[in-house]
Amino acid sequence: MSDDRQNVVDMAGTRVDDDHLLSMYVDNELDAERTIALISRLRSEPALRARLEVMEANDKRVKQLFAQSDNQVPEHLVPLVTAENVAVLGMTRRWQRWASVAVAASFATAMALVVDLSQTDVFNPMSMDPQLASALEQSPSRATGWDALDDERQFRSVLTFPAADGRWCREFLLSQGESHWRGVACRVGGEWVNQVVGSEIFLEQETQYRPAGAGDSEQVARFIDETATDVALGPQQEATLIGSGW
Amino acid sequence: MASLTAQQRQELIDELPRLKRFCLSLTSDPADADDLLQITVERLLEKGMPEDAHVAKWSHRVCRNLWIDEIRSRDVRSRYAQSESAVEGAGTTAANTDESVQLDRVSAAMERLPPEQRAALVQVAVEGCSYAEAAALLEVPIGTIMSRVARARKALAEDLEWSAEREA
Repeated sequence: MSDDRQNVVDMAGTRVDDDHLLSMYVDNELDAERTIALISRLRSEPALRARLEVMEANDKRVKQLFAQSDNQVPEHLVPLVTAENVAVLGMTRRWQRWASVAVAASFATAMALVVDLSQTDVFNPMSMDPQLASALEQSPSRATGWDALDDERQFRSVLTFPAADGRWCREFLLSQGESHWRGVACRVGGEWVNQVVGSEIFLEQETQYRPAGAGDSEQVARFIDETATDVALGPQQEATLIGSGW
Repeated sequence: MASLTAQQRQELIDELPRLKRFCLSLTSDPADADDLLQITVERLLEKGMPEDAHVAKWSHRVCRNLWIDEIRSRDVRSRYAQSESAVEGAGTTAANTDESVQLDRVSAAMERLPPEQRAALVQVAVEGCSYAEAAALLEVPIGTIMSRVARARKALAEDLEWSAEREA
């Protein structure tokens, strides 16, 4: 086979070999003249035809590979994009930072969008009450499930971490009807004091989705970023701390 | 804070499946692809985009830059080794059909492609882009797409042929 038949000149003037030629043919990127010339060669050159068939078969398998079910978009992303007037809490990066803590891993999938409490139409639960304080005092952190409080409120501690100034702090979720909040409370002088609370859109296990009002803030995430040391407590450490009365 | 318009949000939702495949073409690992997609969506929601931006091109650019900036900085080599051995192990189980064995081989061969070739091949062969469309999306010259796709197909063919001969 002559060099002229093995190689052609493309539109940019670059010499391309048979593999490039076949690839362009597969992609319908050859001009008419070169397409006709290639078809003629394919009729007379079994090896070239076989190479084309291999390319086409591999393309088909690559398509199958990318069509497999585990390559689908995670369900929780569509409501995440749909929600308006919300701020995202960089959950993946946080997940990486807290990755050593089991409860934090599940927190990533149940994570949320936080909106600003300064808006007047959102109830601000910053004031601590005995039931919430008791839950913070005794309830272990968990990935799923809720503790029932009064007024049809539900509570879940998400994780426990030491603040840079030595205080113990807990990130928690609180829900009441259609309203949801994420907050951080720290133990100050033997009492639990809310440090920051944000109303939020809550994605529960990637399926449940609850809308919140307008406004946006990253205050909870910012507070944790600024306050926490890098290590959250593991379940056993946390249980020991709860058992000892903090 | 910049935010997406309603139309941009809808276009982004429509683009997510393709963006996921793009993530997979970059990372060649489903878990990494999910991470990259998540981070990309977060970044787009956080930073928004210009009102006149082409959502597909913009989101792909953000995705690719994040891959370069963040994902590549991880210690991917050990994870790559794990996933590669897992794929090879899966290919030797007796329960696999011929076709699934072939898909395993293709998956492993795709992992071994240089990322830029893999991304070009996926845009053209999977997404059905023309060379011009793929070039615009990946921000490289058309001739580069042509060359990368051809080299990817050649490498894939040789790799699969070698795999088949080795297992025969």
